[in-house]
Amino acid sequence: MKINVNTEIALTYLSARKKQTAIAAAGVMFGISMFIFMQSLMKGTNDYFEKMSFNSTPHIRLYSENKVADTHMLNSYLKDSSVKILTNPKQLIQTLGINNPYGIIKEIIKYPRVANVTPQVTANVIYTSGSVQIDGNVAGVNIDQEDKMFDVQSNMIAGDLHDLNRVNNGLLIGKGVADKLSLHVGDNITVTSGTGSPTIMRVIGIFATTIKQIDETKSYANIVQAQNLLGKDRSYVTDIKINIDDYNNAPAVARDLETITGYKAEDWVQANEQLKAAFKIRAVILNSVIGVLLLVAGFGIYNILNMTIYEKIKEIAILKAQGFSGQAVTSIFLQQAVYIGVLGGIIGVIVGFLITLMVSRIYIGAGSLKYLPMSFYTPHYAEAIIFGILTTVAAGFFPARKASKVDPVTIIRG
Amino acid sequence: MESIALKATGINKYFHDPVTIPVLKNITLDVRKGEFVSIVGKSGCGKSTLLYVLSTMDTDYEGTLDINGVQATGKSLNALARIRNESIGFVFQFHYLLPDFTCLKNVMIPALRLGKYSYKEVEARAYEKLKMFGVEDQALKRADKLSGGQQQRVAIARALINEPAIIMGDEPTGNLDSKNTGIVFDLFQKLAKDFGQTIITVTHDEDFARRSDRIIEMADGEIKSHGK
Repeated sequence: MKINVNTEIALTYLSARKKQTAIAAAGVMFGISMFIFMQSLMKGTNDYFEKMSFNSTPHIRLYSENKVADTHMLNSYLKDSSVKILTNPKQLIQTLGINNPYGIIKEIIKYPRVANVTPQVTANVIYTSGSVQIDGNVAGVNIDQEDKMFDVQSNMIAGDLHDLNRVNNGLLIGKGVADKLSLHVGDNITVTSGTGSPTIMRVIGIFATTIKQIDETKSYANIVQAQNLLGKDRSYVTDIKINIDDYNNAPAVARDLETITGYKAEDWVQANEQLKAAFKIRAVILNSVIGVLLLVAGFGIYNILNMTIYEKIKEIAILKAQGFSGQAVTSIFLQQAVYIGVLGGIIGVIVGFLITLMVSRIYIGAGSLKYLPMSFYTPHYAEAIIFGILTTVAAGFFPARKASKVDPVTIIRG
Repeated sequence: MESIALKATGINKYFHDPVTIPVLKNITLDVRKGEFVSIVGKSGCGKSTLLYVLSTMDTDYEGTLDINGVQATGKSLNALARIRNESIGFVFQFHYLLPDFTCLKNVMIPALRLGKYSYKEVEARAYEKLKMFGVEDQALKRADKLSGGQQQRVAIARALINEPAIIMGDEPTGNLDSKNTGIVFDLFQKLAKDFGQTIITVTHDEDFARRSDRIIEMADGEIKSHGK
């Protein structure tokens, strides 16, 4: 293939100044590798926190919300505007939990996008061991389903969670509770709810999430055990937890389920608004850093091309005298920018990957977070290349245009 | 009728900085094909300015300029670049070779730009031109490694690569010793006589001027004598 003469000149200029070319390419490389590293870290962290939040929060939680008494039905039944029904404007406690929970669960499972459904009985309790008492809550669950949905197993630090099915009065406690009451697997603990009688239970396992507040209050019991603690019957369920195929659809599905069941359905976005805000803030911070990095890389290229043009101004004039048009001169210098960008971009992608790989091996060891969460997400690499090339072309454009406007007469005559 | 290589009609040019002064006053000039013309005059008389107007590089003038019977005045910068590439070769007082390239590449670049011949053909032609000036053994050296005389000969070879109808020289021998000046002069004469190429040079070298076909004398922006 015949190389275009503009390309040949551009390449000769670049190779004649290897050091400058290398520095400019290094700037681009740095920008692009940091772009990839930062994006990977941000996505990794976001994914991690999302996953963490789904370790404790279902995509959708269905529960009976306390309501102010509603006179709407009665009024429409009376059809008499001269009679006004007055109600107590205070919240009423819906002590019955969810009516007919297993019927509702059957309905929910029919909904196409639902992946998993599990009932839960939540009981606010006081844990007592010896003379020490602490507040907390017991989640009465079907531990197998719970594990399937929330990967309880990954948080276990002692005992076996399946013992919850086998051991009568078994209790799975958080690490914070265990520490405060100095409990170990096999020890007894007294659990008292507001409505039931004190019950002696047996610690069959200890778990640790990364969230201290949960570790210091939460415990898991069999759902029947939790109903007993509260002195309720077998049909008493406070929450129905639902996971769907794609958690991004949660708000829409939640609205549908509210209509179907008549209970309040809270999606994870509502439950984790601070998480969403944190994602957004992180995105702003990291994007500004990346922007600055690419800008600096762009200035590097701009500078070096500008210098080259000052140095080469006579040569540019002579090229024009020999019949190189303004466009040809622009092409020569823009091509130099593009080659620097491509060179720096390719190395940057490789270096970015290596940095990401290296950092993903750094041990953190905070809670269940052992290594820095890094994501290896291919579109980041494509984005990095696109941004890198856009930056270099933009940075090369102005010097190249300046070169194209060199007036040969003024330069040659001096 | 003899054909006209270059025709300038009523050229006026002004410098505007710091005040507007006329540098070229109503210059009308014909150069025939195959003619070897020298433009002489004192420093500042406008002879170089005239040459750059005739070269199409300077477009800031009044009047009209025809090259090979085609009007150059009013053409776009790209079209003028094309005309220069195809029909005009330049030799300057200073060689202005591109120092990062070999001599051979320097000679080849205008031809590659023109794109009339394949890379191989251009290379062969460039060698031929270098041979004409006895610098073919320097072909693969970088241009900045040559002596001044050699560089100027390479620069002239470069001006000839596209076989332009007109060769323009701005003091082409100004930096050369008498021996090299002789070589260059003989070549110019040969090009004019044997190949019908038109040569227009601005020179201070009276001897060089005297030996050319015609001397155009300039003073104060006007042509004093069109020669024979």
